[in-house]
Amino acid sequence: MANVVEIIGLRKAFGGIVVADNINLQLAAGQVVGLIGPNGAGKTSLFNLMTGVIAPDAGSVLLEGRPLDRCKIYARARRGLSRTWQNLRLFPSLSVIDNLIVAVREYNGEKLMNVLFAPGSLARSEREYREKARQVLEDTGLSAVADKAAADLTFGQQKLVGVARALMNDARCLLLDEPMAGVEGQAYEIMQKVVRKVAASGVAICVVEHNVAFIRDLCDEGVFMFAGKILARGEVGTLISDPHLTELYFGT
Amino acid sequence: MDYLYTVIILVSLYVVLSTSFNLVIGYGGLISIAHPIFYAIGAYASALLAKDFGVPVVIALFAGAAIAAIASIILALPSLRVSGDYLLIASIGFQLGILEIIKNLSWMGGAGGLSNIPGILPPGTPKLVFTAIAVIVALLATWFVRQIAHGPFGRALSAMRDDELAFAALGRNAMRIKVGTFALGSALAGFAGALYAHYFRFVTPEQFGILASAAILTMVVVGGLRSTWGPVVGAILLQALPQLITFLDLPTRWLGPLQGLLFTGLVLVFMVVRPQGLVPATRTWSARTEKSHG
Repeated sequence: MANVVEIIGLRKAFGGIVVADNINLQLAAGQVVGLIGPNGAGKTSLFNLMTGVIAPDAGSVLLEGRPLDRCKIYARARRGLSRTWQNLRLFPSLSVIDNLIVAVREYNGEKLMNVLFAPGSLARSEREYREKARQVLEDTGLSAVADKAAADLTFGQQKLVGVARALMNDARCLLLDEPMAGVEGQAYEIMQKVVRKVAASGVAICVVEHNVAFIRDLCDEGVFMFAGKILARGEVGTLISDPHLTELYFGT
Repeated sequence: MDYLYTVIILVSLYVVLSTSFNLVIGYGGLISIAHPIFYAIGAYASALLAKDFGVPVVIALFAGAAIAAIASIILALPSLRVSGDYLLIASIGFQLGILEIIKNLSWMGGAGGLSNIPGILPPGTPKLVFTAIAVIVALLATWFVRQIAHGPFGRALSAMRDDELAFAALGRNAMRIKVGTFALGSALAGFAGALYAHYFRFVTPEQFGILASAAILTMVVVGGLRSTWGPVVGAILLQALPQLITFLDLPTRWLGPLQGLLFTGLVLVFMVVRPQGLVPATRTWSARTEKSHG
């Protein structure tokens, strides 16, 4: 399998706290990798480093062989790196479908020149985006709430909107930050189905999650992080039954 | 009757100013109060192009708008790179600085003002003609800003105001959108300024100072941030108010400070009592999609 993402020697410290200590990691096309580890292990920080939210002290992130280091946050997303957020970060003043439409990778509507001088192409793009958003909403079981304000949904639905929004990018690599926290019932099933479908289409997926059952059911491989380091990589079942890692995880 | 026409013309130009300022500070969330300086730049640029370079007035009007837009980009690029707050500080400095420069340059008319600006209409044209033009421009500007704010660009602006980091992580270039919004709003202000210059044929630096900033801000806040008709109502109300004050027969030296007090007082009262303004904004996005697809 081809590597979509390659992280080489990534390092970041905030004062004395090291959140990434010489991280080396590859994410392959079609593979779902689970990032496990206790709070403060550096899982979300790794996502922030990959997406350019924080700048590393050293090291490099490559997407499809090309370094992202000089790219700003938006430029990384334009290259096909998409993510969700632990605390959702939806756009509360937009309806659900507008949350999705604004997330199209090459959204035409942000270019003022198009808005002013090419209204025809803008209208065509709008129809295209709306169609695509409807499809993603159907896949994520959100069609019924498409026109509601994002802020009016249940927490589980909002989590799904976060994932649906990230899917609008048609990303090469998808980073999911705790997609299951606070999610149960039907949304749980949908989330699994969606992640599988996206992976099957050749996207590299990395999931930060504390829900061990979800990780075990879904991930091809697990990566165990502790204190900014990757301690182990392997089959999820093996990782979570390792007494040493279990001890680190629960801090006993 | 002439007096009424003049009031209508001033109100119309202020509608363009407040509506374009609503685009910048309301829809764009860009905190600047230097909007009058782009009004000034449009006025001076267009006036000088027509007066000293013989550029036809119609072309000079658009050139004035373009030069105002370019000036706004020069201001926005460095200040927005640091953080949004710097725009406010930089904008005040920019406004006062440019006005000082104008006051000290004799070819720009200096502190006494620039006079003998070529008129927009042939001499003897009835006042009604320009009054109609001004009203049409005001309505067009209001419609235009509404179209922008309720279209794909407005959706992006809304999302950016909600959460800039999430917005960037979706591939949206927040900087470009901010600068674009600022430039567009400033171009409209510049166009209004150019119209003013070629109609009244005389401009002075002092009419574009902080008092004008306070007036425009008050119009938008009292009228209603992010509402289509709010800035229009605000402009009409607050342009009529100073006209009424002049009927009070107060000493001239009181009028300026009194206006300033009135404007800032109104902003404070509205911020506390009715923050949504006289014409509250609708929830553009969710409300609109519910209507057309729900």
